[in-house]
Amino acid sequence: MRRLTITVDHQRCVGNAQCLNLAPGVFRHNDAVQSEVFDPTGAPEAVILKAARFCPTSAIRVVDATTGDVLFP
Amino acid sequence: MTHDPDDLFAPAVIADPYEYFGRLRETDPLHWNERSQLWIITRYEDLVWLVRHHELFSSAVIGSDQRPPYPPIDPEDRGLFDEVRHFRSDQLVEQDRPAHTTMRGAVHEYFTPTAMESWRPFVRQAVAELLDGVAPKGGMDVLQSLAAPLPVRIITHMMGVPNEDRELLRQLADKLLYINRGEPYRMKPLMEGIREMMAYVEPKVGRRAEHPENDFISVLAAAEKEGIFTRHQVLVNSALLLFAGHETTMNLICNGTLALLRHPDQWAKLCADPEGLTRLATEECLRFDPPVKSTQRIAAADVERHGKLIRKGDRIRWFMAAANRDPRAFAEPDRFDLSRSPNPHVSFGSGVHYCLGATLARVEGQEVFRALAERFPTMRLTTDRLEYQPSIQFRSLKSLPVSW
Repeated sequence: MRRLTITVDHQRCVGNAQCLNLAPGVFRHNDAVQSEVFDPTGAPEAVILKAARFCPTSAIRVVDATTGDVLFP
Repeated sequence: MTHDPDDLFAPAVIADPYEYFGRLRETDPLHWNERSQLWIITRYEDLVWLVRHHELFSSAVIGSDQRPPYPPIDPEDRGLFDEVRHFRSDQLVEQDRPAHTTMRGAVHEYFTPTAMESWRPFVRQAVAELLDGVAPKGGMDVLQSLAAPLPVRIITHMMGVPNEDRELLRQLADKLLYINRGEPYRMKPLMEGIREMMAYVEPKVGRRAEHPENDFISVLAAAEKEGIFTRHQVLVNSALLLFAGHETTMNLICNGTLALLRHPDQWAKLCADPEGLTRLATEECLRFDPPVKSTQRIAAADVERHGKLIRKGDRIRWFMAAANRDPRAFAEPDRFDLSRSPNPHVSFGSGVHYCLGATLARVEGQEVFRALAERFPTMRLTTDRLEYQPSIQFRSLKSLPVSW
């Protein structure tokens, strides 16, 4: 499985929690109830990409950590 | 005539909510409104805190609040009010966790930014057709000719019903608008609209359950098959498309157009680069004069804030209109500035109930403001006398006449 770099833009994140619902092994909420990544290996890649797609404010970016290819958006 | 400072429906407060709620924001950010028996929250930081703590503040306001409606309704309509409550308590927006998570999960994919962006060509075409119709006339009421028919066209398409039904849906939508009004007789047209809408949708749900199509009713029908929605919830949430998507979009278009025309320097900027600036313009229109002024919650626990105690069961209204003008969150908040970026306004709320239709609203606003700037750069207001509907929730103009 390829390594992913997953980032959450806190200028955009509104704590809608779709990512936590889909991939609770990857995302959690911080004290401001915004999403943060605690384990980029905590769910299959397809689930992580779905979580990124489900973000209503497009705050999640997924990149192939080895090649730098942007997988989402 | 004595004026009750807690009268949220006073003509001056309806005409200019920014002065009244702005003053509360600066002097009493957690204000107890004795007249309506509810807390009023106006600061940006407090609003974000409130809506992101759904475990402390329940969205099941209609179902659990036993107090009489405000402002008062005709006494003989108490039975109708109970019917409306029964209807509204099945709306997605009225659910708390865990039911809300499952229900929203079932419909969320239909509304993702990727999915809604694919609607842009359809929205662009609809805007073009509506403007083609009025262009030769040299003027229009933005509300009647553009802002009201556009969302009905979109929702007709979304429900997968024929174009011939647009007029019927528009008539239903007009009745449903009474949900946010203050008139004492409002329960009658509202319940009539709800009954007609449910009767209209019911046979379609059965057909979509058998033969799914690419529309929102099919999404709900599939969720019913999975046991996530009851049939009543399917009907209620089909109607929610009209409740949630009609007046909000109308207000975005009217309030945004008004803000642009009242700031000629900003309008000129947009006209010079409609394609490039329409996204930022739409965000600033949303911030400056938001379609929804306020929404409500009900306290699920005793909570302390600003040295005051909100008790379990207390009603709370939180004002996006005031938070979007909070100087603690926005530099020069009363200035309408298309170059504002970032622009973290709270016009779509925040937290788990963040507006499901936000991306669609954005696409509609972007396409409308772009098209108006491209086609009618000489557009101007033809009246100084603008009136708003007597609603505490919605910032709704009664008309917006312009010419070009």
